[in-house]
Formats: sequence, C-alpha cells, structure tokens
Amino acid sequence: MYIITQGIYALFSVIGFSIIFNLPRKLIPYAGVTGMIGWMVYVTLQGQTSNFILPAVVGSVAVGLIGEILAAITRHPSTMFTIPGIIPFVPGYGIYYTMLYIVQKDFDQAMTTGAQSLFVAISIACGVLLATSLMRFIRPSMDKWLEKIR
Amino acid sequence: MKIQTEQKRIVDIALKAGNIMLTNGAETYRVEDTVQRMMASRGLEDVHVFVIPTGIIVSANIDNHPTTILERVHGEGIDLEVIDRINALSRQFTSTDMPIEAASDAIDLLVNHPPAFSKWTRFFFSGMAGGFFIFLFKGSFVEFLLAYIVSSFTVLCFDSLSDKRLNFFVKNIIGGFLASLFGIISVSLIGCFGIYASLNMVIIGPLMTLVPGVSLNNGIRDLISGELLAGSAKITEALFIAIALAFGVGIMLQLGINFI
Repeated sequence: MYIITQGIYALFSVIGFSIIFNLPRKLIPYAGVTGMIGWMVYVTLQGQTSNFILPAVVGSVAVGLIGEILAAITRHPSTMFTIPGIIPFVPGYGIYYTMLYIVQKDFDQAMTTGAQSLFVAISIACGVLLATSLMRFIRPSMDKWLEKIR
Repeated sequence: MKIQTEQKRIVDIALKAGNIMLTNGAETYRVEDTVQRMMASRGLEDVHVFVIPTGIIVSANIDNHPTTILERVHGEGIDLEVIDRINALSRQFTSTDMPIEAASDAIDLLVNHPPAFSKWTRFFFSGMAGGFFIFLFKGSFVEFLLAYIVSSFTVLCFDSLSDKRLNFFVKNIIGGFLASLFGIISVSLIGCFGIYASLNMVIIGPLMTLVPGVSLNNGIRDLISGELLAGSAKITEALFIAIALAFGVGIMLQLGINFI
C-alpha cells in the first residue's frame, strides 16, 4: 500500500515537472507513468537494502527502459519521457542538506552528503545510459514487431 | 548581398535547427546527430559536426570549397516541446525531399512560437511539482500545502527573472534566495497559529524546481559516452547553478536565523 501511494505522489510530481519543462501535452501522461514506475521501483528497493546507489541505478534503468519503449511506440525522442521521469531521483535533498551543513559549519557532514549526492547523480546517468545501450540491441526487432501490429 | 547557393542554405538551416535545439536544452549528441544527418542527407560531402553546450562548429565541402562555420549558442532553459518539433522536422527533412523554403519557414515559426502553457497553468503545476515532492520524503500534509504555495510563487518569480536577461549565476542566487525567503515567511506565519512545519522540508520542495538535475544528468551521460569537452562544460554549468542556489539559500538562512 505504501508503495502505491508513493507512486501516486510521484505521478503528480512528475506531471508538474513535465509542465515546467514544456513537454508536449499529449506526452504528459506517458511521462507521468514512466516517473511513477521508476519511483515505485526505487522505493521498493530502498526498503530492501541499505545501499544508497543501488535503488537509484535500478530505478533509472527502469525509467530508461520504459522511456525507450514508449519512444518506439509513440515515435518521439526518448528524452521526452526520461527527463521528467528521473526527476524524483535527483538528489535535491542531498544538495540542500550539503548547503545547510556548510552554513552550520559542520564540514564533515557536508562532505558526506555532498559525496553521496554526487554518486547518486552519477548512478542515475549510468542507469539511463545502460538502458539506452541495452535498447540498441532490442530496438530493431521491436520496431519490426510494432510494424506488424500497426 | 552575396548570392546564397543551395548548399549554403542547407547548412544554414541545419545550423539554425541545431542552435534552437541546444538553446532549449537538448543533449549534445542529439544536436550533433541531427545537424550531421540534415546536412549529409542533402548531398553535402565531408561533413563534420562538433557541438559543445556553448557553440556549434560545422565543416563541410560547400560548392567545392572546404568551409567551416562557427555558430555561437546561448543556452536558455529546457523546452521539450521545441526539441520534439525540431526532431520531427529534421526527420521529415532527411527522409522526404521537403523544399528548403518550407523547412526554413517551419523553423522560423518554431522560434516565434507562443509558450505552450499559460503563466497560470505553470503557476498551478509548478506548485504540484514541488508540493508532491514533500510526500516522497515523508513530509506532513501542512508541509505539502506550504511547499505547494511556495514553489508556485518561486517559479513565477524565477520565470519573470528569465525575461530580464540576467547573468545565470545571479539569477540562480536570487532563485535560491526567494525560495528560502518564501519558505521562512510561510513557516513563521503558520507558526503564529501554533501549527508546526519543518522549514527544511518547505524549502526543499521549491528548491527541487530550480535544481539543475537535467544538466547534471546530461553532462554525466556525455562524459560516460566519451564527449569529454561537452560533458565537462555541462557539469560545470550544473555545478555553478547548484553553488548559486546554495549561496542564495545560505544567505537567507543566515539572515533568517538572526531574525527569528
């Protein structure tokens, strides 16, 4: 139940961000669902491990894969779905706390949170890239399959 | 006036398309790919394209003269609709024999296109973006409402700053400053009624709408795929935006701690 409510919150948040990024109107629901599933994967994994990188990597792989599949179906670039989709993972939380610790002159904590946010950012990018390279193998056969359905 | 040969016009159109994409926040590899394809599809030879976030360099054999053209680009923000439309246009341009005039007109139309969403739609939905974020970090309902209002106003003010052509560093300092100013005001206001809300939560929501997540992600992606120059430029941009935001928030928090 917790995961489902989190997914719904993520859906609304991603729809909001889609409008900030001026996403074309008819693609907004797709982007929202992409972000929602990504965040649900993230939350599920977060409950299972104490590792802070793994949820971000797997979550963004999910976002990347769904984005690429939707890109093949709707014939729009995959970034239309991945850019709003990864937004919930972006370590804004970490960036804020890094700054807060610096203001409070707690430099040890600032370094820890800063490094953590940097690694989360790197792992998000790695995840999306991984999904893209994976889809490069699958895309031709998928396009053929889609052709048959249409 | 110089006579424009057909090949020169093709290069112009490709460069214009690339410029618009880059201005609106497309990834460098996509811009490189689009410009390259648009030029090569119309029979230009020896096409080389080099894109960094602040400029496009194109070299090709134009009318049997090896020519290099540099186009300076100033990034503005993220507009996915424009990227999508240019992408569709370039596909049409490369796969059909679309007349050059038609392509040029279509691009001009895109440059002057009205914003996709009205100011108030953006106002409403940017609140949603920042507000629901609070729930993702286990915030309370009061914090959600405050973050909703604060993010709406922050994005509204930030959008009107973007029209003033400020330096991006100063603009983001003001953005961070405003987000935390509104946050502190709203938290202390409801504090008067005896309702508690965490200030950190109320500031993080609006801040998320300003954080350079997309540049950071695109930059790292460029670096991993070997576009070292473009990647470092993007990451440096993201880093400086983050520093500017932190500056703004930091200034306001210091002031706030003294006043409250």
